[in-house]
Amino acid sequence: MKKSYLVLAISMCLAVLLVMQGQGLAASSIVVAQDVGPRMMNPHGDDSDAGLQYMANFFDGLLQRKGPEGTLAPALAVRWEHPDLLTWRFYLRKGVKFHNGNPFTAEDVKFSFERLSNPEVSEFINTGKSIDSIKIIDDYTVEIKTKQPIPWFANNMHQIFIMDKESTESRDPGDVMVHPIGTGAYKLEEWAKGSYVRMAANEDYWEGAPPIKKVEVRPIKEASTRFAALISGQVDIVTGVPVELYDKVVANKKLQVISRPARRSIFLALGNKPGTPMADIRVRKAMYMAINENEIIEKIMRGHASPAAQVPDPPTIGYNADIKRLPYNPEMARKLLKEAGYANGFDVTLSGPNDRYVQDEKIAEAVAKYLAKVGIRAKLDVKPKSIFFPEVAEGKLEFYLIGWFDGTFDMGRTYFKIAHSRDKEKGYGGLNGTNYSNAKLDKLLESTASIVDPALRKKTLQELNRMAMEDLIVWIPLHYQEDLYAMQKGKGIKFQPRPDRWMVYKEISK
Amino acid sequence: MGTYIFRRLLQGVVVVLVVSMICFLIFRYMGDPVLTLAGRYATQAEIAEVRRAFGLDRPVYIQFGKFLWNAAHGNFGKSYVSRISALDLILERFPASFELAITAICISFVMGVGFGVLVALRPYAWHSRAVMAGSLAGISIPTFLTGILLIMIFAVYAGILPPFGRGDTVQLGFWRTGFLTMSGVKHLILPAFTLAMYQLAVLLRLTRAGMREVLAEEYIKTAWAKGLPPRKVIFKHALRNVLIPVVTMAGLQFGELIAFAIVTETIFQWPGMGNLLLTSIYETDQPVIVTYIMLAAFLIITINIVVDILYAVLNPKIRYD
Repeated sequence: MKKSYLVLAISMCLAVLLVMQGQGLAASSIVVAQDVGPRMMNPHGDDSDAGLQYMANFFDGLLQRKGPEGTLAPALAVRWEHPDLLTWRFYLRKGVKFHNGNPFTAEDVKFSFERLSNPEVSEFINTGKSIDSIKIIDDYTVEIKTKQPIPWFANNMHQIFIMDKESTESRDPGDVMVHPIGTGAYKLEEWAKGSYVRMAANEDYWEGAPPIKKVEVRPIKEASTRFAALISGQVDIVTGVPVELYDKVVANKKLQVISRPARRSIFLALGNKPGTPMADIRVRKAMYMAINENEIIEKIMRGHASPAAQVPDPPTIGYNADIKRLPYNPEMARKLLKEAGYANGFDVTLSGPNDRYVQDEKIAEAVAKYLAKVGIRAKLDVKPKSIFFPEVAEGKLEFYLIGWFDGTFDMGRTYFKIAHSRDKEKGYGGLNGTNYSNAKLDKLLESTASIVDPALRKKTLQELNRMAMEDLIVWIPLHYQEDLYAMQKGKGIKFQPRPDRWMVYKEISK
Repeated sequence: MGTYIFRRLLQGVVVVLVVSMICFLIFRYMGDPVLTLAGRYATQAEIAEVRRAFGLDRPVYIQFGKFLWNAAHGNFGKSYVSRISALDLILERFPASFELAITAICISFVMGVGFGVLVALRPYAWHSRAVMAGSLAGISIPTFLTGILLIMIFAVYAGILPPFGRGDTVQLGFWRTGFLTMSGVKHLILPAFTLAMYQLAVLLRLTRAGMREVLAEEYIKTAWAKGLPPRKVIFKHALRNVLIPVVTMAGLQFGELIAFAIVTETIFQWPGMGNLLLTSIYETDQPVIVTYIMLAAFLIITINIVVDILYAVLNPKIRYD
């Protein structure tokens, strides 16, 4: 008897719970499936674009990048000055409030920038350590002095997010990692790790309340599952459509595909150790000319890439429209090799990641085949990025495939990182994995470090870029990737992807 | 008996230690977390500083010793990637994995034993042969294919079941459950079947073999001769004896289902521990990986020991001394 009562009670509870299910999402809401979820809710702890793009919705930087082109615009700072080589003065926006109601002042800026140099909570150590002092002039003016001239300092301000000093200090450090309190357009509602991130519009946002009131982001790593989620109507937008699924999405009447040229270029880095074949410019040229880039784009990228003649992309300072690709010409390549004394070719190891860029492994395979046709025997050595990148950092490789784009839109910083000779003392060439070294290039590059005048800076970096690509062939450029997105047709969602792949929900409307 | 239990426990501890040590050594050669920790534009000097800050410049044995010392105090370190306590990160995902595994084991047990009995009763009927052929397929088709096929059929073409995630969940204390909502149950069906497929086939074949053996025994013939109803003969007399190895098998596999449902969890984006482990391996998040493997080893060893001890208690013919 008792038993049956218990069963009855339990089933009643179940019935109540089933009725209490989550109601449907409101009209102005979207569900987005992305390939990666946020790692944490600490805006300084992850410097990858995959993580920063989540933070950009909860927090604001002093400046921001406006979609769809990524132009630099004021955010928490209304304007900035650069009175001398080392000083940056920011005038802050008044009347901005954090999600918890605390007012935003210069204190918060100082606190956030000081936090950058703590390795426990920050991956922006480099930015943190480059700052010499932060002076609060008044509640809405901050003066930052850097140790050395950093021409691109302001260009980086869209990814340094400002935290609330009071609540960050008073809360448990573990709590700070999971509950963001920023000034951003959205407040975090709930984050179930690995399942979803739910955000709600911040009605008091200083730019005005965002049009979409509820956003749910679901990380789905597996591309085919992401695609299934879209087809079954469970999500409105998916990011990162793999090229092999592109035709399938296009063929589906309910879906529409948006492609946009990405900023990331894919290229091959070559060493130039004296005494090795690749130290000879003729060999470098031959390798360049042996690769049929158009075929790579057509066959491997299924047309979703555009040929590159240099590493920076058009909006980056230092992009030089006059640089042209060397033509594909295996005959010429063989001739050049013969002239250089390598008629029978030579052996080289081609390394690369297999889980980082679109079709990275297949591109490396193709390159090896093209080189084989002119007699160069390239041994493939592709591995997961977690092993590959440390090898690049240690400078252990002779020839490898890598991709890059500069978040500051300034090629100077990137060149210091991947083309300058390795210099532990000064911290140059940290990701110059082949130990490429050219004194002329180094000298010209170092001269740009203190050029702040935009016109002159652009000209010098363009010249540097020309020298690197035409006189020295520091790298063999392959192509710019294309980002592919898919969304439900006929839902009236207005969405334009950004060049940095960030999903900034205040820019989407319905 | 007492010495036996003590000996088993001691063995268990040694195994967990050895596993964690191997893990620690392997993952030192699985990439360098410091690179990510310092950030993309960090200089060599800054990278070295971060290495020192995290104690990763020390020799391996010191790092390992420190890890064990902290682990003994219940502190497994912080994830490099999310900077949250590794243990909390894993335990937060335990309910999802556990619910998936328990559902899968229920499906495979009920269906496996049910079909196994049916097939054993009429071994040469065409439908029995079909079931046996199906079970072979269940054993040999890899999980990821099963999962993708199920998604294709039920989510994409028929559109009746969701292809990913857990759906709506309810928080009960520290436990986040998907059993209590319609959408949670719906989301569970495909991954649970995918995970259950292999186990189902194994249990089915085990039950069938056992049943056929037992049904030929003298005492069953006697039961039939006495004119007992088939239900009684089959379930009470025959199946009870067959179930011992079947239950053992199911029990032993249960731990593995919880700890290593990696493929299924990845395909269905199930927010469980297997999914976390995979992500952590991609990101060289050593504290999480080592903690995870230790926990998994602990879980499986515990289940093993419990099963062994129960055997000794239940079956007086087995003597361990």
